[in-house]
Amino acid sequence: MVEKWESALVLVGHGSTLNPDSSAPTFQHADEIGRRELFAEVHCAFWKEEPSLREVLRMVESDDIYVVPNFISEGYFTETIIPRELELTGPVTRRSGKVIKYCEPVGNDPRMIDLLLRRAQDAAPNVPREKTSLLIVGHGTSLNQKSAEAAQQQVRVIREKRLYAEVTEAYMEEPPFIADWRKNTSQRHVVVVPFFIADGLHSYQDIPVLLGIESDRTAAASQQEIFRRNPYNMDGRELYYASAIGTEPLMADVILDTVARFDRKHLCDVAA
Amino acid sequence: MIKDELARLITDGYNALGELGFAESSTGYRLYHWADRNSLNQARIYRSPKDAREIAKYDSSGAYRPLKGAPNLPRGWVLELPNINDLKTALDFFYPGAVATWLAFREGKAQPVCLRQTLNRQTGMYRVTRKLTDDHAKSLVKEACRSDSRCLRTILWGIEADHPPDFLPASKSDPTVDQTGQSRTTLPFLCLEACNLLVAAARTTVKKSSR
Repeated sequence: MVEKWESALVLVGHGSTLNPDSSAPTFQHADEIGRRELFAEVHCAFWKEEPSLREVLRMVESDDIYVVPNFISEGYFTETIIPRELELTGPVTRRSGKVIKYCEPVGNDPRMIDLLLRRAQDAAPNVPREKTSLLIVGHGTSLNQKSAEAAQQQVRVIREKRLYAEVTEAYMEEPPFIADWRKNTSQRHVVVVPFFIADGLHSYQDIPVLLGIESDRTAAASQQEIFRRNPYNMDGRELYYASAIGTEPLMADVILDTVARFDRKHLCDVAA
Repeated sequence: MIKDELARLITDGYNALGELGFAESSTGYRLYHWADRNSLNQARIYRSPKDAREIAKYDSSGAYRPLKGAPNLPRGWVLELPNINDLKTALDFFYPGAVATWLAFREGKAQPVCLRQTLNRQTGMYRVTRKLTDDHAKSLVKEACRSDSRCLRTILWGIEADHPPDFLPASKSDPTVDQTGQSRTTLPFLCLEACNLLVAAARTTVKKSSR
């Protein structure tokens, strides 16, 4: 078990200036880890909310700091934004008597596959899988290929399990595009699982429009009475849209394992 | 520690931050909307610092508050907190990092970062903000950060390095001035660097001006 009574944990989320639910998973897991009293202090920081990445380290009083990106994959945010805004020089940054340890994103944990499959199962428990396309939808960006590569890796592993007739991926900002799901999937039943941490702006409000199950952006999930009305019957197909995986309670353990993995991988760097 | 310094500041008479008022009580500390200070017996009582996070999330009309410094905190609540640590946590949910930033600035451990430095390091969709002209920057900050309707923080950064924000009203860059317009013994609520909301607004300004 991770016990870091003299260390701080800083969980970094994307956050949103438009959607109040985007930061919810990050706060949820910070609360849970704080409840377990494993760290001297637990903080959250965000790109689009407060505290910002620029101010959070002023709030941290411990000299030993673990920074864990609550992001679904490596990519633009974990490789460019977070290191730049926190002024990190690598996995281990020493500054003003403090040691900042920059961990991998939570999405690198191998249990993400199980979480994606559980979300698919929860969204469409009764569909015949042998007649179902499983579509994993991610953000994708021309700024960094790694986010799409992470989704592709999940698709490859799930495909090898031969649970669904078809397993494929689609993205918001690069091909294959989500809006083309009709031609890029072949089965009558289509289960769509967002490869996102939060049921926030993209996964809850933007992607349903791209899928065609909403004609316009709806209110945020927390401001609706019903999360979603699966299935959606469209053009003779039955589409099920799952919720994002980041709110799974298991994610608190994934965060702690990410810290433990950092220690195993960078023990020599920290001791140097 | 920050909580110990906060306790000292309260003992010294500081009782306000932004729209908040706080005081020692018979059971610990009491935190409330300053405008409710004379009607706290009608306010709904909360006892966990995490309640602050939910109270601060929406304004009185139910609209999301992405900018915590906005002068639109809802009223009608009071947090009864057992100790200084919980008060510090609650203050950090209302105004994230405000106390820590003030203490760090006071001790010379945190310095303002000029707008050009913030914009010049942006990448991706915000890279274009490097093209924001000085005139546009000044008009934008004057409007987007004004204390009466947008943000209660005191701006200490200028457009260029080593230039004070002299394009703003003097009161907006004076840490001793209560940005709510009242004369309270308030903890300074500092802005040491343009926030992401302002960077996003800078992007919109540049896009509009290039059309």
